[in-house]
Amino acid sequence: MMEALVPWLLATIPLAGAIMAFTSWEDPERVKKTSMIGSILSLVSVVGLAGFLTIPPNGCLSLYLLPLAALTSILSHPLGNDHRRSWIMTLVCLGFGMGALTAHELSGSFFLMMLLITLIILLYRHHTALWPISWWGVGLLILGLVGMGISMIADPPASSIAVLVTCAVLLPLVPLHVGYLTTVTRLPGNLPSFVVVLLPVIGFQRLPQILATIPEDALGIVRILALLGALYAAVKALAQWRVRLVLGYGSLSFFSIAWWFAATTGFATPQGTLLVGAVSLATSGLLIAWQVIRTRYRDDVDPQAISGLAAAMPRFAVLLSLLGLAAMGIPPFGVFAGFMGLMLTSSQASVFGLFLTLTAWLAASWYIMQMVQQLLFGASRPDLRHTDLLNPELVSLAIVVVVLLALGLVPSALFAPEQPILEQAAHARELSSWRN
Amino acid sequence: MLPSLTLSVPLFLLLASGIAMFGVDLPRFRREKLAAFPVGLAFLGSLLTLYLVTEQGPIVIRFYNTDSAASLIIPLGFYVDRLSVVMMTLITAVSMLIYIYSTTYMYQDGHARRYLSLICLTDFVLICMVSSSNLMMLFLFWQLLSYLLYLLAHNHTHAGTLAGAFKTFTILRIADTAFLAGIVLAFQLYGTLEFYDLFTRAAEMPVLLSLWPGVEVSGTTAVTFLLFIGAMGKSAQFPLHLWLPGSLFAPTPVHAMLHAGIINAGGFLINRLAPLFGMSSTTLHIAFVIGTLTAVLGASMMLVQSDIKKTLGFSTIGQMGYMIMECGLGAFSLAVFHLIAHGLFKGTVFLYCGNVIHKTRQDPHFPHTDHAIADEPAFSRLTWSTGFATTLFIPLLILLVTHGVLRIPLLESQGTVIILFFIWITSSQAILTLTRLRAVASWKVSATMLVTLLFVVFTYLFAVESFTAFLYPNPEEVASYFKAADLPDWLFDLLILGATGLTVLGWYYLYLRAHGHSVWTPPWIEGLRIRLYPLLMNRLYADESYRAIGLSAKQLIHRIDKLERGWSR
Repeated sequence: MMEALVPWLLATIPLAGAIMAFTSWEDPERVKKTSMIGSILSLVSVVGLAGFLTIPPNGCLSLYLLPLAALTSILSHPLGNDHRRSWIMTLVCLGFGMGALTAHELSGSFFLMMLLITLIILLYRHHTALWPISWWGVGLLILGLVGMGISMIADPPASSIAVLVTCAVLLPLVPLHVGYLTTVTRLPGNLPSFVVVLLPVIGFQRLPQILATIPEDALGIVRILALLGALYAAVKALAQWRVRLVLGYGSLSFFSIAWWFAATTGFATPQGTLLVGAVSLATSGLLIAWQVIRTRYRDDVDPQAISGLAAAMPRFAVLLSLLGLAAMGIPPFGVFAGFMGLMLTSSQASVFGLFLTLTAWLAASWYIMQMVQQLLFGASRPDLRHTDLLNPELVSLAIVVVVLLALGLVPSALFAPEQPILEQAAHARELSSWRN
Repeated sequence: MLPSLTLSVPLFLLLASGIAMFGVDLPRFRREKLAAFPVGLAFLGSLLTLYLVTEQGPIVIRFYNTDSAASLIIPLGFYVDRLSVVMMTLITAVSMLIYIYSTTYMYQDGHARRYLSLICLTDFVLICMVSSSNLMMLFLFWQLLSYLLYLLAHNHTHAGTLAGAFKTFTILRIADTAFLAGIVLAFQLYGTLEFYDLFTRAAEMPVLLSLWPGVEVSGTTAVTFLLFIGAMGKSAQFPLHLWLPGSLFAPTPVHAMLHAGIINAGGFLINRLAPLFGMSSTTLHIAFVIGTLTAVLGASMMLVQSDIKKTLGFSTIGQMGYMIMECGLGAFSLAVFHLIAHGLFKGTVFLYCGNVIHKTRQDPHFPHTDHAIADEPAFSRLTWSTGFATTLFIPLLILLVTHGVLRIPLLESQGTVIILFFIWITSSQAILTLTRLRAVASWKVSATMLVTLLFVVFTYLFAVESFTAFLYPNPEEVASYFKAADLPDWLFDLLILGATGLTVLGWYYLYLRAHGHSVWTPPWIEGLRIRLYPLLMNRLYADESYRAIGLSAKQLIHRIDKLERGWSR
């Protein structure tokens, strides 16, 4: 009884917060405060009620990350009338997201469909003729919605394939990644920095349900797509100069790595959750940092026109550097921990696949480093007015950095049962003649 | 007490970093000077640990459960044996000197505190790296070091500095990736990253890996080869050496630290994993080839550089080549001895090179050039005859006698013979240079040189033997490494004959040239000499090649990006 009730409760708290925030629409400060309280209450409720939930095989890290990401995303956003809708919609998405993560069967699908519908409506409302390609993104989100619908009425393996398509839209997998990129680049206000955590985390959480039932041929295709996707996204990230696209493609590259490991081993491990969660959170942090720049130098600021912020904005510089390190997979942050965890515990992986994943990991050192270096170092622009981080921005970014650090230092034992490594080693030795 | 003492060494450095970085500015650089005390205490702690480890054996501290997969991610632990503690002592000693030097050197710099803090943080990372209890922790700090090297470039507003720092970071990351692949492979094959367990399992379970049908390599070769690439990056081995000359613009104390401490990481890694490397002759041979190539190229490029920092930089590359070559010959302890000696020497030279530049600016006649050579008559036949004997044959005799006196088993391993030849060539080259520079090769001077050589060689070999016995108390272990590194007989003979021939021919050439005789050389050699000079002066155009590769890659990436009709249209 309690197990069935808790998901609804977890979904209702943020949704109720959204309604409360909406009632004080006229006062932006109050809307923001209410939204933040809603996120905090959501986080508290997760901590309090997680014990009543069945812990999925890949752990329950995602549950904690969602309200946290919502909180940091809202907190970092400056006050303004134009931002009220995005704060409230953050809570709405959080509510549907919590429901989709925790509820089973039909109610879980219902929440996910509601979430996709919300995002589609938001993208439709914010569509501009300058970005015609965002229609593709909307189309792919609709495809995800249709996939969810089919899965509710069809029998396996058709239903599994349909869910796989939805998962590939949420946790982006080339060629269904445009929906994710659209949300990262086209959603208004603080929403990109939240949705970048929300969608992949839900997508990965749903993977264990289908990996066991998907035909081997389909898994083979997923493996190929994931490997090509990791490389393709890394190449695309290297070619971009717009920060959101660099981050979008960069995170896509890492998500493809998670897809590859999941498809290779046939199950979604806690290490995979850690990688997806940490990559999402690091990307979210970098999007927040970019939001800081946009707040100061207008929305359409060209990142190549800014340099030398390290001297003028030292607090921002330190946090951005740390986030950059985390995003490119350098220890001791969570991305590295997740990546290493997957590398060490996936003995069935092929040499070629490992080589490509390592290449994608290495490429992050270029595009993330280039981006961070462009903003922080080089000659300082005396004609620009510099304001270092305001307290809410500082707290928000600091929370993200600390959580990423914690994810690296306090690994999967927190959210998944420990696995004796000797069994894995024995298994590895059996497979000592590696597949090519 | 022992664990606390061991832990106090890195913690003192971390504390120093914190003192330098945080808090308000104090007058007269008091905060920066205050931070020097923990740095000094770290050195004292290392000395004490050195004594205790020598007396009581290795110290093991683990903050993780070795049987837990979940704890594998960041398995923090310390394993301090003689190798670690020697490195700790070297690092903290050099760091202390550099820190004290830096407080004055960076006095007027606006970001001196950040710089000093980063110096201490780098020392902390280095100490943690050399005292890691497992490969994962070692790799963790290894990577942090790559990033710290980027930050230590310091003046990031200067375009050249920034480009050099970025190049350093990216090249080191390539090597780091190979290192990571080695770790993953080691874990997949042997199920552990704990040093001792890894060595035991690798010895007990020989594994063959099939790269493609018909081509198989042993597990240890694959693992050590990947780890060796990691070592090549940090120790600036050809072709991953480009980052070292590229870091030219960093503050001079950073160079001292880089050349005295950080660059030794590769040698340390190979020594730490000596039992594993000792199981793979193939990797040792590769190390020998790469090391020799780097030594030759580094030394050659050093000779034709016009910039003091670049000259010293290429000298370091050459020395690191020697060190890796020694590892490739199985002389692991000699490599450590070499890196300590080189570290202390190069650190001193770098800290002093600012003075040389300063003096040069003040005194146009500095450095003094010896113009007397051109005016002096050519050496007499007797002078050259004695020189020939004293610099070519007697040094070899001295080396053979010293080996005999110290009971170094010369004929039991190829490595010892090659190293003997190497010392012979370098010592005769050193005496020859002195003879030519001063043009006073009298019996008295020659005798003095030979006595000095005897003293140096005896002391050096005695110290090396003692150090080897200290690091590897089991002589069988040392012999097994030499054995593993044995080259095919024909190659060994060829090397010895080649080295002898080159030395004698070189002498003959110099002798005739000094007498004003024209020396016939095949035209292709003359042509090669002319072509080699600009090639070496321009550092084999490696920077240009690197830039061209980067540009081509960029163009390709943008072409691919444009091909795909997507967001970046």
